[in-house]
Amino acid sequence: MNRLINIFSQSLRAVLALKLRSFFCILSIAIGISAITIIVAATEGAYQKAFDIVAAFGPDSVLIVGGAEESRGIARREKTLTLTDAEAIRSAFGTAYMVVPMSNVRDVIISYRGNRYQAPVIGSSSDYSLAWTWPVVEGSDFTEVDLKRSANVALIGNETMRELFGEENPVGKFIQVRQIPVQVVGVLLERGASVGGGNVDNRVVMPITTVMKKLQNEAKYVAVLRVRFEDQENLDRRVEELKTFLRAQHRIPDGESNDFQIFSSKDIIRFLVALTGSLVVFVGIVGIISLIVAGFVLANLFHLSVRERTGEIGIRRSVGAKRRDILFQFLGEALLLTTAGGLCGFLLGVAASGLLQYVEAFPIHFSWRAFAIGLFLSWLVGIVFGLQPASRAANLEPIEAIRS
Amino acid sequence: MTPLCLMEDVRKTFRMGDDAVEVLKGIDLAVAPGEFAAIMGTSGSGKSTLMNLIGCLDVPTSGRYLLAGREVLGLQDDDLSELRNAHIGFVFQSFYLLPYATVLENVLLPTLYRESAKDHAEDHAIELLRLVGLEARMRFRPNRLSGGEQQRAAICRALMNDPELLLADEPTGQLDSRTAAEIMNLLAKMNERGKTVIVVTHDPAIAAYAKRIIRIRDGVIVDEQAD
Repeated sequence: MNRLINIFSQSLRAVLALKLRSFFCILSIAIGISAITIIVAATEGAYQKAFDIVAAFGPDSVLIVGGAEESRGIARREKTLTLTDAEAIRSAFGTAYMVVPMSNVRDVIISYRGNRYQAPVIGSSSDYSLAWTWPVVEGSDFTEVDLKRSANVALIGNETMRELFGEENPVGKFIQVRQIPVQVVGVLLERGASVGGGNVDNRVVMPITTVMKKLQNEAKYVAVLRVRFEDQENLDRRVEELKTFLRAQHRIPDGESNDFQIFSSKDIIRFLVALTGSLVVFVGIVGIISLIVAGFVLANLFHLSVRERTGEIGIRRSVGAKRRDILFQFLGEALLLTTAGGLCGFLLGVAASGLLQYVEAFPIHFSWRAFAIGLFLSWLVGIVFGLQPASRAANLEPIEAIRS
Repeated sequence: MTPLCLMEDVRKTFRMGDDAVEVLKGIDLAVAPGEFAAIMGTSGSGKSTLMNLIGCLDVPTSGRYLLAGREVLGLQDDDLSELRNAHIGFVFQSFYLLPYATVLENVLLPTLYRESAKDHAEDHAIELLRLVGLEARMRFRPNRLSGGEQQRAAICRALMNDPELLLADEPTGQLDSRTAAEIMNLLAKMNERGKTVIVVTHDPAIAAYAKRIIRIRDGVIVDEQAD
């Protein structure tokens, strides 16, 4: 043990003395490790965000969207779900404690005393705040009565409030939604970016009956149904039951595909991971390539170093160093350099991803895991690429080394 | 007295491709503790090979070699390292001081590979440096020392583990004659203090410091003379 400490102290001496070699080794490792750090942090960030969103929007909930899987794109989605479906689900599923039908109208001009703002209007039943676990910070949610009467009331998002009202308290005030006067009854808590990175704080939420009649001129169809179940543990089974139920409800013959889609929290995670995935793959390939390049740089510099330091190896062997002492010394040098490179790379990765977050809202999450993986890979590179030059040094015959 | 080094019919053959070249052709040699011997020969005579064998840097192809009573032939590489570390101090023509370590660290080098750690290693190293007049320079890098000073530091390193045998290979080859005389006097002083000293040289003036001269030619010892 004592001997090993002695030998590693020699490694440290050499690393500090051979500054140019150390600089290039550390630099090349750092570049590779910084890329790896970013990937790990981005992957973790994506998962973290997915779980945050799932937790925020309710892990016990599913979203039923109208239109078959083939017809992609929210705007072109067919309307197949109805308020009747909502009622039917509510009565058929005992554990469905909440069924919220929703519609949306995009880009609606909203104004208040000359302030104009363009925002999506969401139609929902009275349980919007509960259905999305989205607290109302000022005023209150609209009621069952508002829904029945197709009342002109609205919950507004935080951003909409700022744009239209500034510092003024909006509760009780009337805004114009496409020339229709609507009374603001509540303000939703500021939520920040959503799953896709889009803005959700600009929305205006109104009773779905009001939206259908007065904004959409729609008597029957709604865009989505949000269902929350008491028995979260059975969610996968409930999803299957919902599919069968809705197929029967819509009288879809066997062999034809669904005219709706059901998303659960698992799909949210899958979506977000896929979104981050392409970037992870790209940076991952860059990272691995640069680590391999760094490894070859290390191996080459060490080969040169071993050749240059033949005399040193010779005298060490003469005074009693065993082969493995030499091996450990050179491996120790490689490991010290890759460790230093790994640490620099981690810091570089933190800085670079800070920049990435600044340029685009990209979820990054640093943890001990990003750090540990970076360090582990540095060591791996050190051992894999340092071993060959180190064993060449160790296998130099003392008489060969001394003769030079 | 039992010899420190005892060689009987030692042969060394090097393979060069298909050819086998016998460099040492049956060496019989005994060096007693406390001797000061010079091995003389021209280049190609086999004197360097003989030195390597005496120093356990290499093993004989055949024959018997006992160092401090231990048979060297057939030893593993690790055992040879231990033998060198404990029993032999080397002094080379080109000093071989580590450029990035201080003089003191260079002197301490053999202690790194010692089997049993000894206390006060640094005190001992400083004492040795004082003995050769380098105490004031022990924190310097070797490149700030003159050739003679570097060789004195190398001698301190050779003495660090208190070996029985000092083996010097052309120790004055890179030094002017005045400095060479200093170094040889230092080796003679170490011999007086009880070290067995073997100097390998082609220079008769250097060999003259020794009490015994062993001449080697074409791989055999041709002549021995003692003062």
